[in-house]
Amino acid sequence: MRSCLNDKFSRTPSRGIADLLIRGSARFGLLFILLVLWIVFSSLSPGFLSRFNLGSMFRSVAVDVVVGCAQMVVLATGGMNLSVGAIGVCAVMSVGYFLQVLNLPLPIAILATLGVGGLLGWLNGVAIAKTGVNSFVVTLASASLFSGGMLILTKGVPLNALPPALGSFGRMSFGPVPALALVTIAIGVVLHIAFFHTTLGRQILAAGANARAAEMSGIRVNRIVVVAHSLSGMLAAAAALMLTARLGAAMPSVAGDDWVLPSFLAPVIGGTALSGGEVSVVGAILGALLVATIRSGLLILQIGDFWLQLFLGVFLLAAIMFERYRATLMLRQQVRRL
Amino acid sequence: MRYSIARDTLATAFGFAVAFLPAQSFASGNKIALVPGGPHPYFAGWVQAEQDAAKDFGISSAEYKVPTEWKLQAQTELLESLAAQGVNAFGFFPGDPVGINSTLEEFKSNNIPAIAIAGCTQDPTDAEFCFATDVYQAAYMGTKALIQSMGGKGAIVHLAGLLVDPNTNLREKAVEKAVSETNGAVTLLQTIGDTDDQEKGDQKVNALLASKKDQVGGIIATAYISSVVATKALRNLGDKRIKLVGIDDDKIVLDGIHDGFVAGTVAQNPYGQAYVGTYSLDLLASGCSVKPGAPWITTPQTAHFIDSGTVLVTLSNIDAYKEELKALSHKMQKTFKDTYLACK
Amino acid sequence: MNKMFEFAIRRQWSGILAVIIAGAIGLSIVTPAFLTSFNWFVMLRSVCVSILVAFSQMVMLGVGQMNLSVGALGGLAAIIVGGLMDAWGWPALPAIAFALMVGGVAGFINGWLTVRTGINGFIVTLATASAFAGINLGITKAVPFYNLPSNFLAFGNGKIGFFPILLVVPVIVTFFLAVFFSRSVEGRYLLAVGGNSTSAELSGISVSRAIVISHVISGLLAAAAGVLAVAQLGSAQPTIGADWLVISFAAPIIGGASLSGGSISIVGTVIAVLLVGLIQNAMVLLAVDPYWVTFLLGALILVAVWINRYRAVHLDVD
Repeated sequence: MRSCLNDKFSRTPSRGIADLLIRGSARFGLLFILLVLWIVFSSLSPGFLSRFNLGSMFRSVAVDVVVGCAQMVVLATGGMNLSVGAIGVCAVMSVGYFLQVLNLPLPIAILATLGVGGLLGWLNGVAIAKTGVNSFVVTLASASLFSGGMLILTKGVPLNALPPALGSFGRMSFGPVPALALVTIAIGVVLHIAFFHTTLGRQILAAGANARAAEMSGIRVNRIVVVAHSLSGMLAAAAALMLTARLGAAMPSVAGDDWVLPSFLAPVIGGTALSGGEVSVVGAILGALLVATIRSGLLILQIGDFWLQLFLGVFLLAAIMFERYRATLMLRQQVRRL
Repeated sequence: MRYSIARDTLATAFGFAVAFLPAQSFASGNKIALVPGGPHPYFAGWVQAEQDAAKDFGISSAEYKVPTEWKLQAQTELLESLAAQGVNAFGFFPGDPVGINSTLEEFKSNNIPAIAIAGCTQDPTDAEFCFATDVYQAAYMGTKALIQSMGGKGAIVHLAGLLVDPNTNLREKAVEKAVSETNGAVTLLQTIGDTDDQEKGDQKVNALLASKKDQVGGIIATAYISSVVATKALRNLGDKRIKLVGIDDDKIVLDGIHDGFVAGTVAQNPYGQAYVGTYSLDLLASGCSVKPGAPWITTPQTAHFIDSGTVLVTLSNIDAYKEELKALSHKMQKTFKDTYLACK
Repeated sequence: MNKMFEFAIRRQWSGILAVIIAGAIGLSIVTPAFLTSFNWFVMLRSVCVSILVAFSQMVMLGVGQMNLSVGALGGLAAIIVGGLMDAWGWPALPAIAFALMVGGVAGFINGWLTVRTGINGFIVTLATASAFAGINLGITKAVPFYNLPSNFLAFGNGKIGFFPILLVVPVIVTFFLAVFFSRSVEGRYLLAVGGNSTSAELSGISVSRAIVISHVISGLLAAAAGVLAVAQLGSAQPTIGADWLVISFAAPIIGGASLSGGSISIVGTVIAVLLVGLIQNAMVLLAVDPYWVTFLLGALILVAVWINRYRAVHLDVD
């Protein structure tokens, strides 16, 4: 929620696009950058807007957004979860195990997998709350524990005789909008409501903004941390389920370290504070879209497949710096107005 | 607030509109692309072959694009991006034999043929066929050659590639079969997986030699980098007693054969795979289809397998094997269309 | 005797040292191959790179920051030293010097970005890690550099008895770091900033300068690790550095570094690296599933941190 300082009833005359950009919310600035990029990329290469490309982009964005949300709920408490990828790959292999080895019906397997994710997240939360150790270290350690444990149990063997229903859902799409994207939007809506319209959500944000003050207001911060981490684990498992559906197979080579960077980028670009207390679901979606757009655009323009990674890193740094600069400008403008 | 909603809707509508338009980027001239599973020295053999095929058969565009890392997602992204740029036929090494199938299904429904090269997809699959080395046979042949060079007895170690690669499993079985046929004269001491990587392979080979050097009589390496790393380790150790049979023809391994550290290597046929592969893709994209009654080989993975050929390289044929393989490739190409395809 | 006991208790790494000694004795009973000269050579060689990687992160922890680009930076330096020698024919020493310089410059970029933009060092180094890895890929196109001069390779493979010549580098670096942090003014300032940046600032220490300097040192160390890795492998692989992140944090933390900054232990870090090296060696000798190493590493970190907290809370140490 934005503060009253830039509501539309302020009387200062608008000085054009630049002013609008500065005064608008961070999300608006992101949307603007996104549109500009889309226009640039599609004019340089018509293939950018083809069904193939859009479908591909939306499908990877769908998973990335949920991964970003898994990180976001922990960032809200002022901590971080480096084990999102590890929990993800554990969930992938779990659903494979439930479906292929135990032959459980699909809905049960899905619930069980979400349970596994929640359990792993709960372990993280409890370790952090009980020992008082920094979430960075605990989740760094648990990432090794979870992925190592998973590899020991599965011996790295993929499970690819899953029931076809899962795979067909993953491939289903309505025009260029994949079914998975709808799942993401549903998750996003639920999270948005949870954070901004429920007590628990407000408590999480309060704990993240200032743990001491929250504790003194009667919020049991330890319980909040455990809840947030459990939720994070469940979201990671949800993303893992979506990925497995997309691939039609459970492979130990997915998720893992690949998820760590995107899990931070999407929320942070979208305006979630690293220090806690402020989240934005819309921002996370836009952030993930931005990263996917840049990747897809650079790929399709054939700007060095191998130089892609560099451009990505630079672009992202630029996006974050731009956002910083914009926020400073806005603050300055507001101060001047007062 | 009004502005952002309006812009948002406009952009989405624009996106939808264009997406629903018939895809115009798939023009008539065939654009072929070969896509490995990730960066790996083995695929360097594809580049020249693809260019030669494009020249010999008048193909307008033949590209070679490598995903930046060995991740299925990187490969599918690249494949879809290429399709969006107008490529209408693909030859690829599957990043995962099952995971790639959903992308293939998408391609099939858009009339884009795809074939698996050097590695197969798992049936049911929309890949037209798989054109690869019969890895089981190759590993079997290599192990038999190793056993022979060891004089028929001793203990051997199997250096295998990525454990998640289904080829690895087949190779393990082949080695075990060759060993079991010696009725106890030769034993398989250990199978070390995931050695197809410079850092890890180096660590594992050195650790193996450190701990079991005296017990080992021979090493069979069934992965490219494993063979390179094993050759270097033996050379560093100055050991010519332990016999090594590797796979593929990296310069380091060939030099090892010259200097006596390596008994032999099983050379695969990347040139032939890419040459004949490009040729057949051009035909497939021009309307040919696979012939059901052709002499397909059935493997645990697929019912449409074509062997691309291997050659055992030792000191005796080290200078001639490349020509042998090239001749084999050209021979395959000449009979390919009539044997495996049905064209209008 | 009492004094020695007290000394041991107060040092975090004494427990780890005990574990190492016990483990080594146990291992040599179970597999006599452990005590062979070749095995010791292999084991010691494998810790050379890890020690420098751990130091690279340790310096950052000392100043209260973190550097997620350690692996990417090291990989870039590895490619540069390999590329200069292979593709451009440079002799070993200038190539090494250039690669180290690149490491220092990259570290400076990290530090400058962190200080100038005010963005959290975590995000900055996350982004630069991506950028450095990108440059790495762009230059090599994932193809390694193989043709290295023989004197460089001899340096990587050479040994005296079972001591790898490579070990000379970490030993010298350890000495320098010990002197830097205990005797030099800059070093003390770094630790002061890590301990409490506000009071450091108020005492007239420039926090920005400390952060930049520590990033430069971290970059130099990561680059040195990259160069050593190339010497050890005999070729410049673009994948060098890919999995350095966990060990770079694990070793200093297990060795007793405080996450909030200002307290690091050089000896502890070295001993922690030795422990991990021992575990990896044991895994191969005992033919244990290598995935256990990943698992154990995670468990070790948790145990180490928990012990650290226990000591801090109950024994009034720290």
